[in-house]
Amino acid sequence: MKISMKITTGHGSGGRLTQQLTRRILDCFETDSRNRAFRNVSQQSVSQRGAFQMEDCAFIGDDTAVSIDGFTVFPHDFPGGDIGKLAVCGSANDLAVRGVRPLFLTLALIIEEGLDLADLDRYMESAARTAYEGEIQLVAGDTKVVPHGAADKLFVTTCAMGKRESPHVLQTSNLKDGDILILSTSPGRHGAALAAARFGLDAPGLLSDCALLWPALSPLLNFSELRCMRDCTRGGLGTVLCEWAEASSLGIEIVEADIPSNREVDSVCDILGLDRLYLASEGCALAAVAPEQAEECAAALRQSPACKDAAIIGRVAAVHPGMVGMKTRIGGQRFVDMPTGEILPRIC
Amino acid sequence: MTELSEARRFEGMRRGLDALLNSMGRPVTFMEVCGTHTVSIFRSGLRSLLPEELRLLSGPGCPVCVTDQSEIDMALTLAEKDCIVLSYGDMLKVPGSSGSLLDLKSRGARVEVITSAIQSLEVARSRPDSQVVFLGVGFETTAPATAVTLKRALLHDLSNLSVLCLHKTIPPILRTLSSNPALSIDGFILPGNVTVVSGLEDYVFLTDELRKAAAVAGFEPEEILAALVDLSRQTETGRFRLSAYRMREVPRAGNPAARKILSEVFEPCDARWRGLGLIPASGYRIGKSYARFDALERFGLAPAPAREDGCRCGDVLSGLLTPPECELYGTACTPLTPVGPCMVSGEGTCGAWHRYHR
Repeated sequence: MKISMKITTGHGSGGRLTQQLTRRILDCFETDSRNRAFRNVSQQSVSQRGAFQMEDCAFIGDDTAVSIDGFTVFPHDFPGGDIGKLAVCGSANDLAVRGVRPLFLTLALIIEEGLDLADLDRYMESAARTAYEGEIQLVAGDTKVVPHGAADKLFVTTCAMGKRESPHVLQTSNLKDGDILILSTSPGRHGAALAAARFGLDAPGLLSDCALLWPALSPLLNFSELRCMRDCTRGGLGTVLCEWAEASSLGIEIVEADIPSNREVDSVCDILGLDRLYLASEGCALAAVAPEQAEECAAALRQSPACKDAAIIGRVAAVHPGMVGMKTRIGGQRFVDMPTGEILPRIC
Repeated sequence: MTELSEARRFEGMRRGLDALLNSMGRPVTFMEVCGTHTVSIFRSGLRSLLPEELRLLSGPGCPVCVTDQSEIDMALTLAEKDCIVLSYGDMLKVPGSSGSLLDLKSRGARVEVITSAIQSLEVARSRPDSQVVFLGVGFETTAPATAVTLKRALLHDLSNLSVLCLHKTIPPILRTLSSNPALSIDGFILPGNVTVVSGLEDYVFLTDELRKAAAVAGFEPEEILAALVDLSRQTETGRFRLSAYRMREVPRAGNPAARKILSEVFEPCDARWRGLGLIPASGYRIGKSYARFDALERFGLAPAPAREDGCRCGDVLSGLLTPPECELYGTACTPLTPVGPCMVSGEGTCGAWHRYHR
C-alpha cells in the first residue's frame, strides 16, 4: 500500500509520518533557489543550526530565540489544565529547553462560530495566569472567527520570544559519546490524562503535567558541560530519544527501571494498551550532560519541586549508531523505535 | 514480595529453564497464541533472555491480524456508504484492497474510535438520522460486549444500529495449527484474558487429546516465564496437564454469565482467517433473533475474494515463518507502508519484530 496522498491524523502524531510532513514542507522552501540562498546567508550569520532546520524554536541572531506552536487539544479542558494554559506552556517550554528565558508572547486565535464567550474567557484567563506566573508578556495578537464546523471550538497558536541565558548554544549536535541523560520527571502524564478523558476512563489522581519549564530548568544552565535539552511533548520520551540518536548518529542506551514512573499513567497504559514512552508530556524535559557533571546536575534539578523525581535514565553510547536500546526491568534488552503514526488503543 | 526477592525469583526461574532445556538435549517449540503475549515478550525484553534451544512462535491471537482482507473491505464499503463506522482503534490502519479505514476517515468518512462496544448504543441514540455500524472484532474477550450491545439494541429498538460481526474463537484454530506437521509445536501459552471468559475446559483437548503441553499465562513477563518453565517440564516428562500462571485465578468454567449471553446472541459459524483460510466453527455470527441488527443483512454485504498481495501473514500467524523470513518484511512492508495487518497492529508479530528486535 502506498502512503496515503491525503493528510491523516497520523501525520500529526509526532512520529515518523510527522517527520515526513515537515520534510515535505521544507522541500517546498528549498527547491526555490532564492530561499536556498537566503538560508545559506542566514545560517552563516547565525552560525548554528538555523531557522531552516524547521525545529519549533530557532535563534535569530546570537541570543534571541523565537518559537511557535499550534494547539488543537481535545478535550479543551483536561485534568491539570486547559488549552489556554497549554498554549502558553508549549511555546515557552520550547524556548526553555534551549536555555532561553521566555519574555514575550504573541497569540492567534481561530474561533469557531458558536463558542460560548464564557468558555473563551476561561481559556484566556488561564493563559493569562500562566503567562503572569512565568513573567511572560503578551505583546501582540490576532483573532479570526470561522463558520460552524470549520474549526473545533478554538484553535490557539502562540509564538514566544526570549533571551538566551545559557553560556553556549544548547543543541543536539553537541551530543557526545558517554553523555548522561537526565529526565526531569515521570513521562507521559499529559498524554495519559487526555487518553483517559477521551476514552471515558475514570483515572482519579491523574493530572496532566502541563507546566512551565522555566525557571525549573534554569539551574542546569550553570553547568558548563550541559549539551542539550528537549521537552518530551508529542511523541513522548521515546520519540525524543530516537530523534537524538538519529541526529547525533550515536546510539542511546536507557534503563527502564530508572525512568521515573507514575502509577496512574501505568494503569491507563495497561488498560488502553499504550506505551508510556510514547505518551506526550507538557512539563517533562530530557537533558544531556557530560558524565562528570551528571550527578550534580540531577541534584540541582531536584531542587525544583516540579522536578523532584528527576533521574539519570541512560547515556549516549556508540554501540548501535542511530538507535535507542533499553535494558528492561527484568534485565532483558530491546530497541525503542520511533512510532510511525497515530497511537491507537488496542482491542483487548 | 520485595523487588529484590522478585528479581531473585525471576533469575531462579530463568536458570531453571536453561537447565531444563539443557537436560532435554533437543530444541523445543512453543507458541504464544495471543498478540498481547507477543508484545509483552518483546517489550519486556524476555525474548533476549530465553535460551537458544527454545523456539518461540507467535500465534494467531491478534484479532486485527487474523481479520481477513475481505472483511476489512466490507467495513470500507460501509464507510463509503456514509454509515458512521465505529471501531476499536487498531483496526483503523489495516489495509483492505483499497486503503484503510484511516485513509477513508482522512477523506471525510465517518469513522470513529470507541473502546467498548457498549458506546455504540449512545452514538446510535444521539444520531438517529445516521446508520451506525459497530465493527465487532476480537475473540472471546470482546465478543461478550458485542452481545450485550445487541441485546440492548433489541431492548431499546435502536433501529439505526447494526453490527458487522467478525468475532472469532480461539480453540478451533489451535486444533488446526496443532495438526499441522510442518509446525511441530510442543506446547502453547494460552491467553489469560480469553480463558477467564471461556474457562479452561475448552482447551483441555490440547493436553488430553492432542498430547501437547499447555499453560495459561497472564501478560507480565514473570507469568510468561513461569508458563514456559511449566511447558518445558510437561514436554520433558510427557505428562501433559493444563496449568495456569496468572496473578488472578482462572475459573475452570470461565465466566458463566458471559458464556450464556454469547450463546443467546451468537451462533457458531465457519470463519475466514487472514492467510489461514476458512476454519470450521471458528467464528460467531449473529443469531436469528438479532438478525435485523446484522450489518451483513441490512446492507446486503458478502465477503469478496481478496486479491493476492504477496503478504505471507498466514504463514507468520501459523508460525511457519518468522517475520524476517518473509520477502516483504522490512522492504516493501514496514510500519509506515504496511502490506499486511501483522505489521500494522500494535500486537502484530511483524510489527513487534520490527519495533523491538531488528
